[in-house]
Amino acid sequence: MDEIAEQLNERLAVDLDDGFTELVRIHATAVRGFLFRVSGSAVDADDLAQDTFLRAYTALRGYSPARRRDLRPRAWLMTIAANVWRNHVRTSVRRPVSAATIEDSAEMWPDGSPGPEERASTADDRGRLVSALTELPEKPRVAVVLRHVVGMSYGEIAEVQGCPVGTVKAQVSRGLGNLRQLLEAKDPSSKEVLK
Amino acid sequence: MSPKDKGVEPTQSDLESALAGLLPPAPANFGLRVLRHVGISQQRYDAYVRLDTYAGGLYVAYSPTAVTGAALESAVARPSVFEEQHWSLTHRTAIRSDTPFPGLRQAMRTGRTRNVPVDLAPLGARQQAVLEAVRGIPKGQLRPIGWIAREAHVADDAEVITQALARNPVAVLVPCHRVTYDDGTPCDAGYPPSTGQALRAAEGIDMQRLEELSRRGAVFLGSDTTRIYCHPTCAHARRITPRHQQPFRSAYEARCAGYRACRSCRPVTV
Repeated sequence: MDEIAEQLNERLAVDLDDGFTELVRIHATAVRGFLFRVSGSAVDADDLAQDTFLRAYTALRGYSPARRRDLRPRAWLMTIAANVWRNHVRTSVRRPVSAATIEDSAEMWPDGSPGPEERASTADDRGRLVSALTELPEKPRVAVVLRHVVGMSYGEIAEVQGCPVGTVKAQVSRGLGNLRQLLEAKDPSSKEVLK
Repeated sequence: MSPKDKGVEPTQSDLESALAGLLPPAPANFGLRVLRHVGISQQRYDAYVRLDTYAGGLYVAYSPTAVTGAALESAVARPSVFEEQHWSLTHRTAIRSDTPFPGLRQAMRTGRTRNVPVDLAPLGARQQAVLEAVRGIPKGQLRPIGWIAREAHVADDAEVITQALARNPVAVLVPCHRVTYDDGTPCDAGYPPSTGQALRAAEGIDMQRLEELSRRGAVFLGSDTTRIYCHPTCAHARRITPRHQQPFRSAYEARCAGYRACRSCRPVTV
């Protein structure tokens, strides 16, 4: 894994277009997965992930080869993804769906609520967990998804969130506590299962 | 970062393991959509698909103009292993796709893969010549190593040629399963014999009959009505009725009996 990561940085430094294809190959699924779980909608996740990579490419073009070689791609991409998602939430709050034209509303789904495919599966445990995740506040939600869904280290998450490692650990543990409460509220019988 | 900080600790709760299972799989062509959205030229990367063959799944990577690599699922196990192997062979990134190279699906279904453009440029000149010769073997037919050497204009050295076959970067599409040793037993270099058997059976090659022929020492079959001799799997040899079949141990023996070589399967005459 480390060898592949080194190779990726080297390719980014030597030839940006070639390195970028490798960046997409390795990280596209994780970036989309992160956005899917924080936004709760597959359509949003697809659009936001494409936006994330477009921003990443534009930024990389302005970087020197030395800076591209020292990049930590996953944490860096997740930082962009988290910003793209926050911007998206902010614009959808400012431009609510009711005020938008019909064309706009087809492009922009109301954020925060689970999409149709998510709602269809809320019957099972997995669905309950997914919808509970979208009810967490913004910062703990990002921290919990990065730590336990994507599987990043606390150090990397601290880089993404721009705060000390201790703060991230607190966010994750508080987030997990809130999730347990939400799940119990939804289904009291699950108390024994999700200790 | 302490070593403990690297991944999720082994003593994790049910909630944490439930969360770990939530990473959703991306749609098949998601990577391609991202690259198109960003505007990376299609010349810079390869796409790949998974197709079904009679020997299990086959990953096929292709550039906009030609197929650049293929590997059987049994040989690479996972898509990510295929992607890494493809890069180390061609220095091109392979991105998952859901539409195969134009004409590829039909070529796979009919077994006539000769007209699918294949890019063998990263290989050495000798290996390229050998694999091009192998591509010339028609569907449902077998050719010995000596024939490959003659067609490829390389020295008739079984070891060199089987090495080239074992390193075939475009499995199945360059039909190495149609190559045999000079005594008629299949080479199957580079993959297990069961894979070769499955591919040959799918093309309708009757290995039992060929084994019987080679047990009798027959390398060629002639027809005593036309006085022409062929490789036993040649389309012309297969339609000789049993009472006119004339087995030969060598081209020399056939020539002495007054037979000439078939112009379709072109047996080696010396």
